[in-house]
Amino acid sequence: MQEATFMILTALAEQSQHGYGILTDVQQISGGRVQLRPGTLYTALDRLREDGLIGVDREEVVDGRLRRYYRLTPEGIKRLGVEAARLQAHATAALTRLNLAGGMAS
Amino acid sequence: MTEQTELERRYRRLLAWYPWAFREEHEQEILAVLMACAPKGQRRPALLESADLIRSGLWMRLRPRPPSSAPMVRAAVRLMYVGAAVCVANLAISIISLALNGPRGVTLRLGDRSQSLPVAITVGLVGCLLVVALWLWMARTTSQGRSWARIFSTVLFVLASLELISVASVSKMTLGLIFWAPTWVVSAASIWLLWRPASGAFFEMRRSGSASKEIVAAQS
Repeated sequence: MQEATFMILTALAEQSQHGYGILTDVQQISGGRVQLRPGTLYTALDRLREDGLIGVDREEVVDGRLRRYYRLTPEGIKRLGVEAARLQAHATAALTRLNLAGGMAS
Repeated sequence: MTEQTELERRYRRLLAWYPWAFREEHEQEILAVLMACAPKGQRRPALLESADLIRSGLWMRLRPRPPSSAPMVRAAVRLMYVGAAVCVANLAISIISLALNGPRGVTLRLGDRSQSLPVAITVGLVGCLLVVALWLWMARTTSQGRSWARIFSTVLFVLASLELISVASVSKMTLGLIFWAPTWVVSAASIWLLWRPASGAFFEMRRSGSASKEIVAAQS
């Protein structure tokens, strides 16, 4: 799973969000490291909808502009969980080895 | 014209790079996000932002669209892009060999010494571009789930196979065969994938109008 995809799904994990909300949330979650642009975001959202990982929650019109809220589908929740567990396992392995290496060096 | 409407007009022009169906559904929504992201007083889209919109729009027009729930069709479509790439590679090799060996190699490969060289090159070039266009068109229509697309692809494959057999039996153009063989293998693999039962389910789903998006909507 690409990092942008992972971040978008993570942004939707807690609650449904509209496009601008996802952009700002992804920026916040990544500490400003991942800055999605609208073009990239909507390409990813379209693909995620086709793959059945997200769906449209509701639509609102704010200041005459359409806001479409997206949320994770059950399949999306499952995929994000699997990917998060995989990344966590890798991170744990890396940290464990680093600690061991640090321990041996000292 | 105010700064905001001018900026919006420019964004709309950039969104024209996206496919019509996508714009119909998402233009207002993306415009809202673009305008929300724009700093106050901005009159023109930033260069990187414009590049991102053009790239994304082109990608949506050209990329394989079958969902991950139809991996066979997805693989077949990818193979069709490979087929197009092989044709372009063949063309490049022909041009390079022409440049290196001079006209003799090309007239030999075309198998017709009486043909004048410019005509032979033009015919080869136009033929190759037509085949590339056919590959891309098949990839596009197959991705859209048009069930006639795989029938048409199969007919083209049969015709290409007959052509290959006739070329192989009539002449000893081994170079010609080397050029055709990769294309034929790619075609055979993609046709095989398109006629797998799982692919049939994808075409049936698209035909009955229940695209994956609607299934997602129904799941909710």
